[in-house]
Amino acid sequence: MSPNLILPETATGHPLRRRMLAAAGALLLAGTYTALVLTQPTGLVDGLGQAVALATFAAYLVAALLLLAAVLPELPVSTLTLIPVALALNIVLGQFVGSVMVPLYLDSLGTVLVGFLAGRRAGAATGVLGTLIWSLFNPTVLPFAAGAALVGFLAGTAARFGALRRPYLAPVAGLAAGVLVGVLSAPVAAFVFGGTSGVGTGALVAAFRSMGDSLLSAVTKQALISDPGDKAIVFLVAALLIYALPRRLSAGFAFVRRHNVLGSRGSK
Amino acid sequence: MPRTCRLHPFTVLALAAAATATTVAAGRWWLSVAVLLACLLLAAWARRARRLAGLAAAILAPAFGSQLLIHSMADTAGGHVLAAAGPLRITAEGLATAGALGLRTGVLVVAGLLCTLLVDRHDLVAAVDLSPAPPQLGYLLAATLLLLPALEQRQRAIGQAQLLRGATPGGGPRGWFRRVRLRSVPLVLGALQDAADRSAHLAARGFPAAGPHTRLREVPDSAAQRRVRRIALACIVLGPVAVLAPTWAGAA
Repeated sequence: MSPNLILPETATGHPLRRRMLAAAGALLLAGTYTALVLTQPTGLVDGLGQAVALATFAAYLVAALLLLAAVLPELPVSTLTLIPVALALNIVLGQFVGSVMVPLYLDSLGTVLVGFLAGRRAGAATGVLGTLIWSLFNPTVLPFAAGAALVGFLAGTAARFGALRRPYLAPVAGLAAGVLVGVLSAPVAAFVFGGTSGVGTGALVAAFRSMGDSLLSAVTKQALISDPGDKAIVFLVAALLIYALPRRLSAGFAFVRRHNVLGSRGSK
Repeated sequence: MPRTCRLHPFTVLALAAAATATTVAAGRWWLSVAVLLACLLLAAWARRARRLAGLAAAILAPAFGSQLLIHSMADTAGGHVLAAAGPLRITAEGLATAGALGLRTGVLVVAGLLCTLLVDRHDLVAAVDLSPAPPQLGYLLAATLLLLPALEQRQRAIGQAQLLRGATPGGGPRGWFRRVRLRSVPLVLGALQDAADRSAHLAARGFPAAGPHTRLREVPDSAAQRRVRRIALACIVLGPVAVLAPTWAGAA
């Protein structure tokens, strides 16, 4: 909302150190993904399979934590107070939507809201933190922290380049984000858990495998069917919620003002 | 009345991580079953066994169903075919793979949930606050854990208020969308307004505070626990390496 009212701004840590942490996280993530896609280990439960599962789990988690450590100290107070609300909304709305028997998740709504209002760094931090806190209730989500960070990062990037200036652009950006997130998360589902977390998605993977696909290829195709639709709806719902915000609230975020996120809607 | 564990939260988490990493690396069914039984016994001591079993079953049942479908119904590599129908083949090797993956996921889920049930959340927040982690992390953890029940309560109140004013969502996809809109719009707008109000108050008080500060809550800790944590952290890396090294040496 506003910078510190009575004290000068003091960002903790060094900018160079934070940039190096972010670069290390991104490199670790990209390196692990590339190695998995190039080698595509076949054994899942032999000695190599156990090592690949542990290494994938650790690399994705450490990369997400490095990105969080790089971003967290530089977030303004207005974003820090927004993030817990977003995390709680992810869980509360995710549970509510899950309880009405509709095959959607909407459990990244809060992350996307933060990305739209506070930018890609805040969105990425919200994604990682949301996964860490959600893992207290479901430990299997822990290695998907990097995918959640990418959702928030892409939401912020989309908002910065005008995805909220027209209502139809938000779901298009969500579709593109869903493709990238699905592709990034597929190796975790394939090599750590050997499949998916639900029977419906598992049946899709089984169908692709019976047609001769490798496990990674089948899980990636399933993710490309499920994730883009879900993210398109999440981006659209988040955009509609931001349109419904009073202007004094949305304009309170420096990111929204600096990049004219809402276009002509923000000036009404 | 559930019993709580008077250990530092990081000690519990480090021990669980070391046990999980070493068990996953070993990949022996009897070790995985032993770890699962140990977790259940600890949960029974804490009088949370039923809760642990319920929570774990809710996560593991769909995950294991998925693993069974993928590896035992659509196995293309196994030679010992038990049943076949069109492209679907059930093989003994596929069933063994699904079972091993189910046990691996089971160890991760049960050990992780046991930590959640044994660790006091207020102790966890205090431990994060006292650790070298950025001070923002402790605030975010505490605020989220406190906001969760408050927002759930507010969501129920909004639902009741909408019913009282006669807003009935109806059925089908349109009814579902209307129901989501009636609940989520007031919930999100109210929550964002509260966040904006809080931000001005925190900014006025110089948040996040730099330098050391006093905490009224003390986290149980000792020199012995610190040693155990260091050993457990080493085991997270060295345990899997020690277990897997002979396999790699044999393969080479």
